Amino acid sequence: MHSFYLAWKYIIYNRIKTAVLVACVTLIAFLPFALQLLLEESERQLTSRAVSTPLVIGAKGSALDLVMNTLYFGDEHPEAIRMEAVNRIWDSELALPIPVYTRFKARGFPIVGTTLDYFEFRRLEPASGRNMAVLGECVVGARVSADLNLKPGGSLVSSPESLFDLAGVYPLKMKVVGVLEKAHTSDDLAVFVDLKTAWVIQGLGHGHQDVTRLTDPSLVLKRSGSNVAATAKLYHYMEISDKNIGSFHFHGNTDGYPITAVIAVPADEKSGTILQGRYLSKNENQQILRPKVVIDGLLQNIFRIKNVLDAVVSVVALATIMAIVLVFALSLRLRQSEIQTIFKIGCSRLTIAKLLAAEIMIIVAASGFLCGFLLMVVNRFTNDLVRRLFIG
Amino acid sequence: MINEMRSYFLLVPVLLFLLLSTAAQAVDDPLDVYVVNYPLKYFAERIGGPHVKVTLPVPADVDPVYWTPKIADIGAYQQVDLILLNGAGYAKWVNTVSLPRSKTVDTSRGFKDRYITVKETMTHSHGAEGKHAHEGLAFTTWLDLYLASEQAEAIAEALARRRPQLQDEFRANFQSLEKDLLALDGRIRAIVSANNTVPIIFSHPVYDYFVKAYGLNGRSVHWEPEQEPSSAQIAELRNLLETHPARWMIWEGTPVKPAVDVLHAMDIQSAAFNPCGNVPSDGDFLTVMQQNVVNLEPVFR
Repeated sequence: MHSFYLAWKYIIYNRIKTAVLVACVTLIAFLPFALQLLLEESERQLTSRAVSTPLVIGAKGSALDLVMNTLYFGDEHPEAIRMEAVNRIWDSELALPIPVYTRFKARGFPIVGTTLDYFEFRRLEPASGRNMAVLGECVVGARVSADLNLKPGGSLVSSPESLFDLAGVYPLKMKVVGVLEKAHTSDDLAVFVDLKTAWVIQGLGHGHQDVTRLTDPSLVLKRSGSNVAATAKLYHYMEISDKNIGSFHFHGNTDGYPITAVIAVPADEKSGTILQGRYLSKNENQQILRPKVVIDGLLQNIFRIKNVLDAVVSVVALATIMAIVLVFALSLRLRQSEIQTIFKIGCSRLTIAKLLAAEIMIIVAASGFLCGFLLMVVNRFTNDLVRRLFIG
Repeated sequence: MINEMRSYFLLVPVLLFLLLSTAAQAVDDPLDVYVVNYPLKYFAERIGGPHVKVTLPVPADVDPVYWTPKIADIGAYQQVDLILLNGAGYAKWVNTVSLPRSKTVDTSRGFKDRYITVKETMTHSHGAEGKHAHEGLAFTTWLDLYLASEQAEAIAEALARRRPQLQDEFRANFQSLEKDLLALDGRIRAIVSANNTVPIIFSHPVYDYFVKAYGLNGRSVHWEPEQEPSSAQIAELRNLLETHPARWMIWEGTPVKPAVDVLHAMDIQSAAFNPCGNVPSDGDFLTVMQQNVVNLEPVFR
């Protein structure tokens, strides 16, 4: 006990040297553990979602971008495909197609246009409110609700794609009708709307005054027997309400409307294999992917990088330990006269050894405590860190 | 101890029985089916028999094509086992609500290429889209009874997909319904073939499939059977008669006497052909259609 008291007094007296030693030991212990934590979380997030998503169909191009966008609503948008892709799977009767359209954002969170089948497929239930029912309604993930303080009855406006896109699509004020239960996945960070609402955000569907009945001359550019041309002043509704929902319409054939990808849920393994076979033609402009295969490839790369980092950390750790040993050896030499004095006042060599051991133990314990604290902080934010570092 | 073990052994078959009976009940529970109009309800009930519970949540006095559901109605549609849509633009509310595609069957999708397009005469333009008209589709597909039988077949297939163990029963019920529908189709063809070029006027523009299927020479006005025609409507009819000298007007329902009298003065007789979009007050789809056929006989005699 006396050894610890004397060691503590010595450490307090040599604050700076102790702080440097504690920082070195802490960092060397913290780095591999923190890395491990992050990798475990990334593996959990990436693998669980990939395993639970049997097949993804999208435009030919980067397989990783397509999977990351469809599963985690990442920022890299793959080329859009047409709604026909959904009908093609539907008609094959091999799988249930679930369209996903992730082009737009609302206050920094991705807007995911899909159908109600997505919620059943991901087993997402509203924790409060209800599911979307009509055009213009949205259901938000648990984190979106918490971060933006949104509750059923609130509203959320879609963000313009570009600040300088003055002639671009009008923002749509969406009604929040439900908040989903926490799923601990990307779904917590998404704003879900019906696919048709996403098309309204894009401007493919819209509601406006009946141009054939306009009486305000400033709204009519030209009127002939069979055509009325409206001016740019014609008011397009930016919020869908009970009163104007009847005026919302889509131009052209919705089979040609864009989506980002289709999640295909085959009836069985055989149906999935047959479906995959239908996308093998050289002239095919769509690709079908098993997300697990793509994510396994990504994880292999991540773990390869981890192995390199482990090697680097090991070398750095060895160098640090050697430096610490050197610091202690030099410290002992500098403290030679002090040790002689302790010896002369009657302490045995064992007592001196105990004193030094106590100093080392205090430094290691302080480093352990600090390292534990830092790991707790990292653990608290692994979800976000993984999204930022690996998913984007 | 032995008694305790014996009671456990007795408990096992009881639990097994309860488990099996629950599973069997889940299979035996009638499929909860929601539809958008009466013909689909009739077809689904004929095909599904006791294995389906079909609901048309539209009030009896409302034409289902113009009905707008409340949020609670949409919620009910979202919860059922199967949603049967007519397709061909029938019930426009379908385009503005969220329905689970996995449960939704568009019964006319199989003959999408045979849809009849009705274009607005007035085009308009705004924004970058250029000139366009809001095209509509004729939606009373079942008035072509051959197409009606195709819709019934789509329903039979949808039910069989959800209850594969009952597919033979559904198939047999469909064949019986198909026989009835095609018999009616044959009777109409026989009736109109005697004089199918005779000009006729329809009180409402909902008979496009009927006209096309049976090769009729029909034009439409917009008169309501329960309302006396206005002078503007009468003038419009007079204009139409100049190029289309019809002697018969076919109504959706029995017209009020003043309307009959107006037509009578113009030497036009009235006959009813009920499209039967909503549940009839008397009889069912088949009896209503049989009566329609009887009503048609004097028109083409």
